[in-house]
Amino acid sequence: MIPPETTSKETSEMSKAGGPSEETAEAAPDLSALGVREGAGHAVHVKDLHAYYGQHHSIKGITLDCPANEVTALIGPSGSGKSTVVRCINRMHEEIPGARAEGSVKLDELDVYAPGVDVTAVRRLIGMVFQKPNPFPTMSIFDNVAAGLRLTGTRSANLRERVHTALRAVGLWGEVKNRLSEPGIGLSGGQQQRLCIARTVAVEPEVILMDEPCSALDPVATLKVEELIDELKERYTIVIVTHNMQQAARVANTTAFLLEGELIEHASTNDIFTNPKDERTERYVTGKFG
Amino acid sequence: MQETRHQFRESLKELETQALGGLDLVISQLDRALESISYQDVELAGMVVADDDRIDGRYLEVHQGVLSLLARQAPVAGDLRIVAALLHTIRCVERMGDQCVNIAKLVPLSGYEAPKDKGILDAIERMGQLARSQLSQSKEAFATRNVQLAQDLVRQDAEINRLNREIFKRAVDVGDDQDVREWAMFMILVARCLERIGDNTVDIAEQTVFVVTGLFREMAESATPPPARSATARLTWTFPTKWTSPRIAPATRWIARKTSIWRARAALTP
Amino acid sequence: MSAVSGLPEISPRRRRTDKVMRASLLVATLIALIPLILIIYYVLKKGLSEWFKSGFFTTDPNGNFFGNPGGIRSAIVGTLEIVALATLISIPIGISVALYLVEYGKQSAFANVVRYFIDVMTGVPSIVFGLFIYIVLVLGHVGGGFTGWKGSVALSLLMLPIVARAAEVVLLLVPNSLREAALALGAPRWRVVSRVVLPTAAPGLLTGSLLAIARGMGETAPLLFTVSVATVLTGNLGAQMNTLPVQIFQDITSPRNEIVARAWGAALTLVALVLILNIVARLVSRRSRMA
Repeated sequence: MIPPETTSKETSEMSKAGGPSEETAEAAPDLSALGVREGAGHAVHVKDLHAYYGQHHSIKGITLDCPANEVTALIGPSGSGKSTVVRCINRMHEEIPGARAEGSVKLDELDVYAPGVDVTAVRRLIGMVFQKPNPFPTMSIFDNVAAGLRLTGTRSANLRERVHTALRAVGLWGEVKNRLSEPGIGLSGGQQQRLCIARTVAVEPEVILMDEPCSALDPVATLKVEELIDELKERYTIVIVTHNMQQAARVANTTAFLLEGELIEHASTNDIFTNPKDERTERYVTGKFG
Repeated sequence: MQETRHQFRESLKELETQALGGLDLVISQLDRALESISYQDVELAGMVVADDDRIDGRYLEVHQGVLSLLARQAPVAGDLRIVAALLHTIRCVERMGDQCVNIAKLVPLSGYEAPKDKGILDAIERMGQLARSQLSQSKEAFATRNVQLAQDLVRQDAEINRLNREIFKRAVDVGDDQDVREWAMFMILVARCLERIGDNTVDIAEQTVFVVTGLFREMAESATPPPARSATARLTWTFPTKWTSPRIAPATRWIARKTSIWRARAALTP
Repeated sequence: MSAVSGLPEISPRRRRTDKVMRASLLVATLIALIPLILIIYYVLKKGLSEWFKSGFFTTDPNGNFFGNPGGIRSAIVGTLEIVALATLISIPIGISVALYLVEYGKQSAFANVVRYFIDVMTGVPSIVFGLFIYIVLVLGHVGGGFTGWKGSVALSLLMLPIVARAAEVVLLLVPNSLREAALALGAPRWRVVSRVVLPTAAPGLLTGSLLAIARGMGETAPLLFTVSVATVLTGNLGAQMNTLPVQIFQDITSPRNEIVARAWGAALTLVALVLILNIVARLVSRRSRMA
């Protein structure tokens, strides 16, 4: 059912797209296509966050700083609240019936939970990539990437340009440039996930949240996405939830260990994996529980 | 709670036992080497040389075990430090084994008559005992992760270093008898080997501290005073300081080369 | 069990039980199929000849006791028009109700009440809808007496819960991950619904709608009380119109054989229309599943 990856052909797309020369099917992510980014990076400051699912107190006062233009990983056993924290950052948590969050989440100086804040504006600034790749099935590859812009009602004069640059940025351009009008779900799992990342990137957010982005992917696709994350952190601040510790070790600058809704330790990845301070971190990381 | 990674913990424990067992092998090698020195037993010395293969084999086993564990189990945090320390430790073990062999090889060279100078011989025996106790102390410190015990080894090692210098002094003042002087030279080499063994046990102690604290600090001989200007100093000549200032240093080096008193490098290092 | 010859064989008793079960299931299936086949056969046998009579589809039934009984043109036209209006009323409202239940109401108390009522409505006998409209609209002389549009209203009341139920099921089948993805991009909820949920659910919604239409086409009782009986061809929904079910109802009790035959022809037409709708619905759903 999944069509094989097409080898790239030099077509007249080159003249249509312009810009950098066409790459082969195995394109590296090319963020330069996105142009120069003004201003410094944007940090996320979570302060004393509490989250509830109905009566269940899921996150118990977490304070966490995610530095700008760095990858922060959240690790911990299942049920420790990692996904919940991340969903609270872009206010997706409250979409669940009966769920609410208290506390302060700041994007630089802007409080995301301030009264009267437009939730959709928050989500435009803080994008999210999910565990299972979820391209829109009724839309083509082009439409999928453009969906972010169309759904938010952004009138964009150069929609095609933005879509093309987003695809280049994630390294998918070479693989799909000849079939932009084919359905988005016709791609392989790894390509679909990169398509979803392109969709997120096309909206030009400041922070990208990733909730176990590689769990549903095979090892090769996983490595490609990890390489992409490494590139993306030049432009965006990335917060990634993962239950694969080796992935956190490979990808993240700083790692935070959560246990039962509390933040146990947050330090540089090197320290967490060679010399953690807290005994619970040591036990989790060496596999004594979890 | 059910212990996870049972297989991994077992393998790690076994690897540690193997590495520390190497220390036992070294102890037995050291005992026999020293015995062969005291009694001029060439046959025993030969056995020591031959048995070094066991230590080399142990080194290869542990080395392979470490690689395998790293590749298959991806240890992190405390486990990673233990594995790194074991690799370092088994190298020290192998070097100590080589030092024992060096001692044993000196036996046939030092002559078939009974040893000549009691003072030197006593000092060598004392050094040997100290080295032996340091070996077992380092093993215990690592096995029990005892930081105090590990740090205590530095103090003991200072004593070995002192004895090394003492033997040197005695050898220089040993007298005119050619045979005795020759024997004393060989004893200096034996003392040197013992001193190296001591240093290696300090290395193992450093690894113990690293495993426990995650910090690696050179346990230098801060307790040892700089050497006094004794007969020893007469041989290791140091240049006066002003000769080492940057402008004059090249000339100093030229002089040193020409007069071939090269051991002044201690004064010339920045 | 012999350890030497390998895996054990099925015992004869189990084989027998298996055969008995298969046979009884087959018999049950046949029992269910036979009446259906008989109906189709019967209708075909009795009605097919009518189809080929000249004027069957091109003339209206005249109410005369003597002479050429005429065709069923006005009935077909009436059915199509009334059902079309009923569709226009019930489908948008039904889908909207389903959208409310799935997207906004979810598990709230009010939504659960609405769901309960819809379930009840699916079980209400169609004659009750007819009577309701009769009392409220016909007897109250709202916009005339018996009219076509009142029949449409009654039919739409009948079709509404079916559409709402089917639409709710289909909308629930839309994976929540799609909604989340659209929301996470910063889309307001109404855009999520209109640009993502509805297009994804479209094939299923279409199928559900077609099935509801097929159901509405065949109901007689509501039409009796709201549109009543007529024979003339009229496109005016504000007047009394002729419909296929009512036509059949009228003709089947006639003493004249030609009229009874005409009833069979009309029945075959009705069955054919419903069948076509069902086949189209199935084709649409299969094509959407393959996409």
